[in-house]
Amino acid sequence: MEKLELLLPLAWRSLWRNPRRTIITVLVVSVGLWSILVFAVLLEAWSASSRDTTQKMMTGEGQIHAAGYLDDPTIANRMAPLEGALADILKSDAVKAYAERVRVAAIMQSEYRTLPITLTGVAPAKERAVSVLPDKVSKGRYLENAEDDGIVIGRNLASRLKTRVGKRVVVLVQDTKGELAERAFKVVGVYAASQQIEDEFVFTGLDPAQKLIGAGSGISEIVFDSSDAEALPSLVDKLRAAAPALDVQSWETLKPLAYAVSTFFNEFIMMWLGVMFAMMAIGIVNTQLMAVFERTREFGLFQALGMRPRLVLMEVALESTMLIGIGVVIGAAFAVLSVMAFPGGLDLGFLGRGAELVGAGRVLYLSIDISDFVRYSFIIWALGVCASLWPAWRAAHVSPVMAMARA
Amino acid sequence: MRILAFICILSLFSTAVRAQEADADALLRAAFDNWRAKSSDSEVTMTVHRPDWERSMSMKAWTQGDDFALVRFTAPAKDAGNATLKTDKGTWIYNPKLNQVIKLPASMLAQSWMGSDFSYNDLSKADDILTEYTHKLVKTEETGGDKIYTIEAIPKPDAPVVWGKLVVKVREDGVMLAETYYDQDMKVVREMTTEKVGEVGGRDYPLVMVMRPADEPEKWTRIETSSADFNIDLPSYLFTLSNLQNPRR
Repeated sequence: MEKLELLLPLAWRSLWRNPRRTIITVLVVSVGLWSILVFAVLLEAWSASSRDTTQKMMTGEGQIHAAGYLDDPTIANRMAPLEGALADILKSDAVKAYAERVRVAAIMQSEYRTLPITLTGVAPAKERAVSVLPDKVSKGRYLENAEDDGIVIGRNLASRLKTRVGKRVVVLVQDTKGELAERAFKVVGVYAASQQIEDEFVFTGLDPAQKLIGAGSGISEIVFDSSDAEALPSLVDKLRAAAPALDVQSWETLKPLAYAVSTFFNEFIMMWLGVMFAMMAIGIVNTQLMAVFERTREFGLFQALGMRPRLVLMEVALESTMLIGIGVVIGAAFAVLSVMAFPGGLDLGFLGRGAELVGAGRVLYLSIDISDFVRYSFIIWALGVCASLWPAWRAAHVSPVMAMARA
Repeated sequence: MRILAFICILSLFSTAVRAQEADADALLRAAFDNWRAKSSDSEVTMTVHRPDWERSMSMKAWTQGDDFALVRFTAPAKDAGNATLKTDKGTWIYNPKLNQVIKLPASMLAQSWMGSDFSYNDLSKADDILTEYTHKLVKTEETGGDKIYTIEAIPKPDAPVVWGKLVVKVREDGVMLAETYYDQDMKVVREMTTEKVGEVGGRDYPLVMVMRPADEPEKWTRIETSSADFNIDLPSYLFTLSNLQNPRR
């Protein structure tokens, strides 16, 4: 402690003997840490957004289909209405919400265009619990109940078909007998989401969809959300056990891209941290080596006056600790300020619809994860100090005689 | 043969009589009977015009009732042999180069037929106007001694059609003079007009018909009928898949 009292002011003063060099090192550290932290926040927001986009639009946290539906999503691969053990689990507390759907490939026709779509028959009350699309209706209204035979289509699809709320469109599907079924639907609502979704999914009541396709009370899929995301794998296992003939999957396997994006980003932050650290380490080691080299005579004198090599090492290490510490504090502070500059989230509007291609929503909501900030800052600090041990060791091993002999 | 001609005249006469009553339903039915009769066998040339090119294709066409139609292209050599068959079960196309019969999927029904301004649906659902619409006579006019009726056809409430309305002009004797397709804002989408009426197969017939999309003035497709026979006996094998692929006629 006594020694620290001696070394601390010494280290602090030597730090400011060459302010330019100190400031450069502080800049290197702070810019590096700032970039790591901001990237971490951005990527985390991105992956959360892509996870949300995937789960809260159509996929949910998991889905149940008839075996073979995912390979061939036609009405031939339908399943019986919910009952028995499966129903018990879905209605239990482990499941936050679930919804049944009929979902088949179809063709939509307006006066001007004919486009491929996915016709989705939904029970609106249940659908609202698993999907945000019902709340994204920008014109008109969403479906009112499972018997509602209006149709809700995406904004982009509406403009491609040159149709709008109040107009009639014709939907053609293959029915259960393999024949072509068609009927007119009135567009009652237009929703806004990502372009991919807008172009693909159109919604009508479960009942009219089943009637059109001739599916009786059969359904194509059940979407569910667990009450606890951590328990999702065990919930999936339970559902599989309850319905061995059906195909139960979580979003991780249903939407491997979204899952890959969310896991890859975590890896990417660590990779970025590694790259930035390598660059920072070069800067730190270089400046500290220079500092030590310039002060060879001084360290020789210290030792000639009786300072132990261990203390010399400590002195140089202390200098680095303070130097990098200042940089880390400044970098973290700027990172916090940068994030706080976007209280309403980062609008990716300038990317146009490009952002949707990689699965993110239009606005990224940035949030600071304190534990991440502390962890990354500490890693950089600790690694920085380790890197500076080499110059410190060099300083401690200066031979007093040789050093003093230098001019 | 004489009996057949007699029946022909009789049916023409009866449609004319019905037309005088100016019943919109009957007028349309008459127009369709005039156009296709119970059965028909015709030779037609289709000209597709685009701003920078134009091409003509010749074909032979057979129809039987409302449900059966077979069209086989005869010229130019590039297109010869291509055929389209429509039955009550669906629509098939045959391509001689692939030697393949393809059942048209729903997604293709609205696509252009042989690059023209007609779609497969225009072939296969031509008589929708009789079954899926309610008809109203909106105008009667006289030009050069002929009465011309304008009929407005509004889709029935749940009819699987996309148009807002169709407006058809029919001459007293059942010759179709114009058919205009409106979108649901009642804006013209496309218009088919008869440019020449003449006698073929013993009846007055729209010999030259032109289809024009409303928003593209430089695009049109002309259908010219050069010869036709009506109400003839057609062999039953004609409208079969095997005949589509291996023509016996």
